[in-house]
Amino acid sequence: MTTTAAVPPPAPAAKAAGGSAAGPPRAVRHRWTEHGLLFTAPFLLVYGLFLVWPLFYGVKMSLGDDNIAGTGSRFVGLANYAEALTDPEMWDSLGNTLWFTVLSTVPLVVLGLVLALLAHELRVVQWLWRLSWFAPFLLPSGVVCLLWLWMIYPSDFGLADQLLASAGLHPGIGWLTEPRYAMLSVVLTTVWWTIGFNFLLYLAGLQAIPAHLYEAAELDGAGAWSRLVHVTLPMLRRTTFVVLVLQLLASLKIFDQVYIMTGGGPDESTRPILQYVYQAGFTGYRIGYASAVSYIFFALIVVVSLVQLRLSRRASEESRR
Amino acid sequence: MSADTLTGTARGTGAAPPRTPADRTGRGRAPRWTPGRLGLLAVALLLVVAWLLPLAWAVATSLKPEGETTRTPLEWVGSTVTLDAYRTVWEAGDLGRWMLNSAYVATMTTLLTVVVCAMAAYGFARTEFRGRRLLYGLVLAGIMVPPQVLMAPLFAQMVQLRLVDTYWGVILPQVAVPAMVFILVAFFRGVPRELEEAAFCDGASRWRVFWKIVVPLSRPVLAAVAIFTFISTWNNFLWPFLVTTDPAGMTLPVGLVNVQSTYGVRYAQVMASLVISGLPLLVVFALFQRQIVRGVAHTGLAGQ
Amino acid sequence: MPQMPPSRRSVLTGFGSLAATAGLGSAASGCAAPSAAGAGRTRLRFWHLYGGGDGVTMQAMLDAFRAGHPGVGLESATLQWGPAYYTKLGMAGAGGRAPEVAALHLSRLPGFAPGRLLDPFDLDLLARHGVRPEHFPEAIWRRGASGGAQYAIPFDTHPFVLFYNTEVCAKAGLLDGNSPGKREEDGEKGQGKRGAKGRSGGKARLRPLAGVGEFTRALRAAREATGHPGLVIETLGNDTVGPWRLFATFYAQAGGTVLDPTATRVTLDDAKALRVLEWMRSLVEDGHAPRRVDYTGAVSRFNNGDSAFLITGEWEVSTYLTTELPFSMTRIPNLFGRPSAFADCHTFVLPHQADRGGASNEAAHRFVAWMLRHSTDWAAGGHVPAYRPVLSEPAYLELHPQSEYRSVVDDVALDPPAWFAGSASAMQIELGAALSGVLTGSRSPRDGLDEVRKRLRDLLATPDPFGGRA
Repeated sequence: MTTTAAVPPPAPAAKAAGGSAAGPPRAVRHRWTEHGLLFTAPFLLVYGLFLVWPLFYGVKMSLGDDNIAGTGSRFVGLANYAEALTDPEMWDSLGNTLWFTVLSTVPLVVLGLVLALLAHELRVVQWLWRLSWFAPFLLPSGVVCLLWLWMIYPSDFGLADQLLASAGLHPGIGWLTEPRYAMLSVVLTTVWWTIGFNFLLYLAGLQAIPAHLYEAAELDGAGAWSRLVHVTLPMLRRTTFVVLVLQLLASLKIFDQVYIMTGGGPDESTRPILQYVYQAGFTGYRIGYASAVSYIFFALIVVVSLVQLRLSRRASEESRR
Repeated sequence: MSADTLTGTARGTGAAPPRTPADRTGRGRAPRWTPGRLGLLAVALLLVVAWLLPLAWAVATSLKPEGETTRTPLEWVGSTVTLDAYRTVWEAGDLGRWMLNSAYVATMTTLLTVVVCAMAAYGFARTEFRGRRLLYGLVLAGIMVPPQVLMAPLFAQMVQLRLVDTYWGVILPQVAVPAMVFILVAFFRGVPRELEEAAFCDGASRWRVFWKIVVPLSRPVLAAVAIFTFISTWNNFLWPFLVTTDPAGMTLPVGLVNVQSTYGVRYAQVMASLVISGLPLLVVFALFQRQIVRGVAHTGLAGQ
Repeated sequence: MPQMPPSRRSVLTGFGSLAATAGLGSAASGCAAPSAAGAGRTRLRFWHLYGGGDGVTMQAMLDAFRAGHPGVGLESATLQWGPAYYTKLGMAGAGGRAPEVAALHLSRLPGFAPGRLLDPFDLDLLARHGVRPEHFPEAIWRRGASGGAQYAIPFDTHPFVLFYNTEVCAKAGLLDGNSPGKREEDGEKGQGKRGAKGRSGGKARLRPLAGVGEFTRALRAAREATGHPGLVIETLGNDTVGPWRLFATFYAQAGGTVLDPTATRVTLDDAKALRVLEWMRSLVEDGHAPRRVDYTGAVSRFNNGDSAFLITGEWEVSTYLTTELPFSMTRIPNLFGRPSAFADCHTFVLPHQADRGGASNEAAHRFVAWMLRHSTDWAAGGHVPAYRPVLSEPAYLELHPQSEYRSVVDDVALDPPAWFAGSASAMQIELGAALSGVLTGSRSPRDGLDEVRKRLRDLLATPDPFGGRA
């Protein structure tokens, strides 16, 4: 597992570098081992202090009744976890997070692909596609959400209702005040805001497809549709996998949009799990309980990550065969 | 667990060096405007309009006199075009201060992240020391930990360290990003060893080799990491939102959401402040479109 | 095309903004320079949540304080109203770099862990600036105390009241007195911040209404006069608390309580609660109030001029003073037996600072005393000052309609003293959502009541983060 300085390592890097000299002279080998810890020390310090330590400290907090003022922390065992797991509000919030993930991932992946295909296929005015579809991604969540809030929230004179009215439809939809529309409004905002990221990833994926594949397909007399189905989409499998995984993980962490646009309402129907953590810990001061809920959420993330690892390992084994 | 299995997705896509412009013309044929392609163009333009509409509306509203912003039916241009709303929100002072806060926080975080992660990545990629693989495995495991999970303990920690409402409280927890180390390790492993060995033979120290040879060679990937870090720090909401309570110390996205203008919400002013807040990164984007696109695609694929 | 109704927020455009812009500049200079504390000045940070009309009034008061106290570097911040504000204030108290002084709803005090997130006032210091306990209504002063120390100094009482449209009410024959409904000519100019002096409200008052039957007859008369529902109430919205406040008002009139005095047990009285809920439901079912209205919608609907009545907080007076609406205000009629109305109080508190004391703490006390002594200005925004000496000042009594309902302060129903209750608290939001369904028709009164009971039990079952010490 650990390699000591005395034994020359198998040098995994040498392979990547295209094979280097068989064995470096002794003086040079010494240099390879010099200062290794020093190079990593600053990172490890910050990493240990602000990621590893809070990760374990949080476990300790989740086993106590800590409040936000940091007074009187008593050990309560698994009481916080038991409370969270029997709390319908926790499950509702978790459900909202999952529901949002489903609702947002599908359009974000599909539409991201469509936009990339359009831009790639048209090949003109690339700047225009990038500007319009990617630029919103560069706006802070506060800007995006407040913009959409004021576009759709005010009945009558908000942009959304005005457009509906000019299309002859009945305005006055409770975009953010009715449970059946509120989550959809959040999803719509999210799609507008973050589609650019998936769009770029797909565009990069498309550009990496070797041209000769298309040429061969064309020689075989394949039409545009058949080229898309038989060349483009199969070649994008790996990109799609990455996009999908990144999107799932990003969607599961939904907080900003809901917090800013609906505050979790109406009647908590859009409140995601992270907002529940926030409310329990910071609005309700029960920071120990909030930690316990965090770790339940963390478990979910880990499960998703592990499933992803399994799938990707299987995929790469298949491709190696 | 081994380091490589943890990063399965990113491997292959993430480790690829940035694409050159030549790659972009995947199929080298001049486009012909067949009816099919014209149809696609129409669809694309329609989508462009849909995407630009909210931005256009924000700008249009911000340029109206305040009394006309809530009129029906919809008017895109008011009786006059005025910058009053911009003047008012800018003179209120908060936006400028938050922008400075954001700029400071994002710049410092980016600088520190790039330096700290690059050094660490070099250490993991090119040196040997006891526990290297174990430590690298630990670092990679961190990719799975979403920072959001740590909000409660991290805040408690900040209270104890007395870092609440300080710049360092905002910056430090955002600096150690395992994914960035992973990207850089993959890149550094691809840097030919011969270049470094030649320098060692000339008597250069490891520091010198790192700064004078490896870093210059890695400019594109470092730029990608820097761009990605800057954008995500500039736009980060949750952590700065938690760790700053004093409006004077808030970053732009946090201040916008948490502080109300004293005189109630007025559309032209709201939109003007949104336009002002969104502008810096859009301008940067207009200037460095290609680099940003490449940086985001590259870094994003590697599993941020 | 019909003229679109301005929302509560956009109403503040136009007229008010001209005066406001001037104040804005100075506010900025006050806080844009944290170094203001430098040149021998005492730094005094004040956080509050006053927006809209209150925001304008507060800004003017702060400017006046600054002008009179060149030695104090006052920096004020207006945070987003509601849970966001209280979350930030609590976190600031925990973080140790809290502002010197802040605003707090009195009903929130038990949840704010006096002694942990808040520091006590020095009553001797306050007395030196002319403010003593006997200057306040005893009940609310006592609610500001905990464990023998005073943590909250009351600034005002802000009850739910009845707004009425004098023209509509005149048409429906609901006014007393002479020249019903005639809007006085000089009303056009009386729209400054002082009040609606000279408006019809000053002379023609609403006929006293008592009991459900009389109120319903009045609503019917109003509908016949205009063809529109006679009453507007907030029925839904995100974080809607209107339905709870409406219920709390009439349930208190019926003599019911929600929790016992120690806030450990649910004491809902089914018979009383159902009577109130059935009646609230009937308002919507019988067409006396529109079904789906959020807060801003309620405010702007009343501004359309078609409705006779609006039940909401008195603070909306500043909205209507900037419009042409002929209106006045009065206490909510006694429909169920007692003259009660939901209310809360704004107070001043000292958020916990690790090193409180010295000149800035002294300045905080001076500031609080100054604000109280000048609370006539604050009363222009509709609030009834808590500092009693002000209530007999002619300047206050001349405020119309703001002084019309001042007697209500002796009959107010505050939230029960539980750590989870109070303005913008978990309880108000939970119960507001549960009761919203009764008004919009998605829940029967019985279901609504059961839901309220269930949510209250859940709240009681949640461990108090500060171990029950309040």
